[in-house]
Amino acid sequence: MYLTVREATKNYGSFTALNRVSIEIDEGEFVCLLGPSGCGKTTLLRLIAGLSDLDEGEILLEGAALSDLPARKRGFGIVFQSYSLFPNMTVAENIGYGLKIRSTPRPEISRRVTDLLNLVKLPQLADSFPGQLSGGQQQRIALARAIAVDPRVLLLDEPLSALDAKVRAELRGEIRHVQRSLGIPTLMVTHDQEEALALADKIICMNHGVVVQAGTPEDLYNRPRTRFVAEFMGISNLLPADAVGRAFPDLAATRPQGSADDHIACIRPEQIGVTPDPDGNASVRGISFLGNLRRLEVESPAGPLVVETHGAKPCREGDRVTLQVAPDACTWVADDSTRAPAEAQA
Amino acid sequence: MTTAETSMPAARRRPDRDRLLTWVCVGLPLLGLILFFLYPMVIVFLRSLTVEDGYGLANYTRVLGSSGFWRATWHSLLMGGTTTVLSVFLGFIIAHGLHRCAFQGKWLVRGVIVLPLLAPSLVQALGLIFLLGRNGVVSRALGIEIEIYGFWGLLIANTLYALPQAVMIIGAALVLLDARTYEAAEVMGASPSRQFRDLTLPAARFGILNAAFVCFTITITDFGNAAVIGGDYSVLATEIYSQVVGQRNFNMGAVVGIMLLLPTVISYAIERQAMKRQQTGQTTGEVRYRPSFAPLRDSVMAGLSLLICSGIVAVIGIVVYASFVTLWPYNMALSPKHYDITLAGGYSSLWMTIVISVMAATGGTLAVFLLGLGLRRVPRAAAQPIQVLAAMPAAVPGMVLGLAYILTFNSTATPLYLLYGTAVLIAIVNFYHYHTQGFLTLMTGFRQLPPALEEAAGSLGAGLGRTAIDIVAPFIAPMLVSVFFFLFMRSMVTLSAVVFLTTPDLSVAAVTIMRLDDAGLTSQAAAFSTCVMAIVCLALLSMKATLALISRRNRAKGGA
Repeated sequence: MYLTVREATKNYGSFTALNRVSIEIDEGEFVCLLGPSGCGKTTLLRLIAGLSDLDEGEILLEGAALSDLPARKRGFGIVFQSYSLFPNMTVAENIGYGLKIRSTPRPEISRRVTDLLNLVKLPQLADSFPGQLSGGQQQRIALARAIAVDPRVLLLDEPLSALDAKVRAELRGEIRHVQRSLGIPTLMVTHDQEEALALADKIICMNHGVVVQAGTPEDLYNRPRTRFVAEFMGISNLLPADAVGRAFPDLAATRPQGSADDHIACIRPEQIGVTPDPDGNASVRGISFLGNLRRLEVESPAGPLVVETHGAKPCREGDRVTLQVAPDACTWVADDSTRAPAEAQA
Repeated sequence: MTTAETSMPAARRRPDRDRLLTWVCVGLPLLGLILFFLYPMVIVFLRSLTVEDGYGLANYTRVLGSSGFWRATWHSLLMGGTTTVLSVFLGFIIAHGLHRCAFQGKWLVRGVIVLPLLAPSLVQALGLIFLLGRNGVVSRALGIEIEIYGFWGLLIANTLYALPQAVMIIGAALVLLDARTYEAAEVMGASPSRQFRDLTLPAARFGILNAAFVCFTITITDFGNAAVIGGDYSVLATEIYSQVVGQRNFNMGAVVGIMLLLPTVISYAIERQAMKRQQTGQTTGEVRYRPSFAPLRDSVMAGLSLLICSGIVAVIGIVVYASFVTLWPYNMALSPKHYDITLAGGYSSLWMTIVISVMAATGGTLAVFLLGLGLRRVPRAAAQPIQVLAAMPAAVPGMVLGLAYILTFNSTATPLYLLYGTAVLIAIVNFYHYHTQGFLTLMTGFRQLPPALEEAAGSLGAGLGRTAIDIVAPFIAPMLVSVFFFLFMRSMVTLSAVVFLTTPDLSVAAVTIMRLDDAGLTSQAAAFSTCVMAIVCLALLSMKATLALISRRNRAKGGA
């Protein structure tokens, strides 16, 4: 492993921000730390950056402990949420600052700055000041500044959160492109599951200071292990065992061993098939048209369900329908009964 | 690495150069605060308890038993109270006029209102004597004799001296009230007088309270005006002076000093609380209120403001004028002869004051900068008590601090004695006298500095020193400039703290003015005052120019 965090613990007074957290980042890997606010993801990033100190545990870079190294000697690049460009320096000076500190010869700095400005597609802004740039441009420059010094690890602390939706999507692609082409191991903190799904090779989902589940985006979306992950990673229908038995008797057999209360079924909205059927045991309560898909609220024997369909309009509000779910489309998750915050439901 | 499996030992970071530097940043200014503020204050307290055979309360019983002390205390409180009421009332009129009314010539009001801050406090007293004294312009023109020495003269002088503070503090509170609040009230049908009663007054409430305590404190601690125009009207500040300088009775002076400390500490504590309430109680005005012209209200407010301002101009202006009059009041022909100072030393004290002020401003700005820089990086538990200590000097009257210095540094008990009688010590006392204001100004700058800037610099490889020079200093440059010039200007004009520390060989401008006035050379005192005011005005203009330059550059960079 390239970067390893082992059993990291951080307390603020009596509050435990991180509780024995272990994570790993491979060479060239893009890892997202995902979780609601207050879950400890930013704390973990700041520990790795060297901006605050571990209470317990260790951080290893290529096998060597980092704890003794202050932030300025770790050789990491970091991009913050906003307002981190030096307002008194031009864009070029901002990007070149790390190189200047490393006593790089001036011609080399200016060559590197030009390359990086081209990389982030803002070559015309070299002599502008940060205050004259838009939020998206500032973040591109911040990214260029962070990678100017060939960082051993790139750390991104919610770099897109302060931007509006369109710029965010654009810059998301940009970050991915830059990271891929340079192959820098990257750790990004975000509370936006969509962002994490789109960018990451690996997602580490955190809650209450511990890692809940780590894996590929597909893993976390399709095979969440706990209710928290299922709820946090997009919309899901979470059904207790008896409800599953009533609505989808075929699925009941897939339930793992153990008490019926231990596990609940997670069925993603797009995994439920809808067929109009006057004798069906479910009915359509409402339909929202979302452009590329329709979201149906369906009343079923298992209770209300959310269903998403593509293509032609299958039914109208009030229609009776039958529902189908393939046995392998249902994941049984542990009911950790920690409610995800409301923002994660949307 | 098998230790990872068993219980992990707490990972402590080795001492690193930056951590060391951080503690130096905090440590040096802290050492200064302890040596040059806390320690002298302890000494003055101990001396107030020192009697012939050890410690005891005998000094206190003697002082509390003397009618002179109670008379001075009563005078101080009465003077403080009356001045406060008057200056807050007038200050509110001007602040309200500036921020809530529309009339031409506000720049003039703004310019005039700071004049009293640019001169030693005794200049107001001098001006009043030239205006209303036995040989004053007004007295002679009207042919009446006004007894200006005493309560009334001191009241006017103190009010003029406190007024700028009142205007600034109340004005700052009024600015906080957002224009949208008024628009909402307007739409709901509130009349202008209702808006004034229900919005303006409550908004200014803490500002008024705050201004009242500041005015009260500077009045009861001021020495210059009381010394020049107080006459027989003794107050606590002059009482300390006469105990120490007149009767060489240091312990009794210390007792009176401690008694003077009580009301100022209480007043300062309440003021700080009021400030906090004001800061938490309101949001900053995001949409600035733009008053529209209301003929009746605005002509009255403009008239009152200009009237008050003309009073200030008259008092300060007459000093400048009198300094050029050949022989006041008999030969009113103009001549520069009073600028030939005949008192021993001549202008040497003026040059010395400039040197001292530059030292205080340079060293002081550096010290509070280091302190602010370091405090951001030390644990909260350590930073908080230091911040409290750094904000304490404002509660200590200059007279008391000066007395504490003479008791501490004129004793051969410690090597600090070497500082006694040097310009450096005067620079130090000036800095610590105004430490709080300088420190708080810089801290507001530090609070606006996003932590991400320093962290970004750190992760790019910049150490503390580099970050301070490349990132922090440019960001808070306006505050650094303000603190530098504030310390310079205050050091140029302050009297109370330095009056005990001057020696026959080493004097400062304000003390020289007092001595000239004492010696009956009132016109020369006026001339000397004019020189001081000219230098301070120049400093103020340089400050404004520098700040304007910085803000123009920042605007060019697209920043605020």
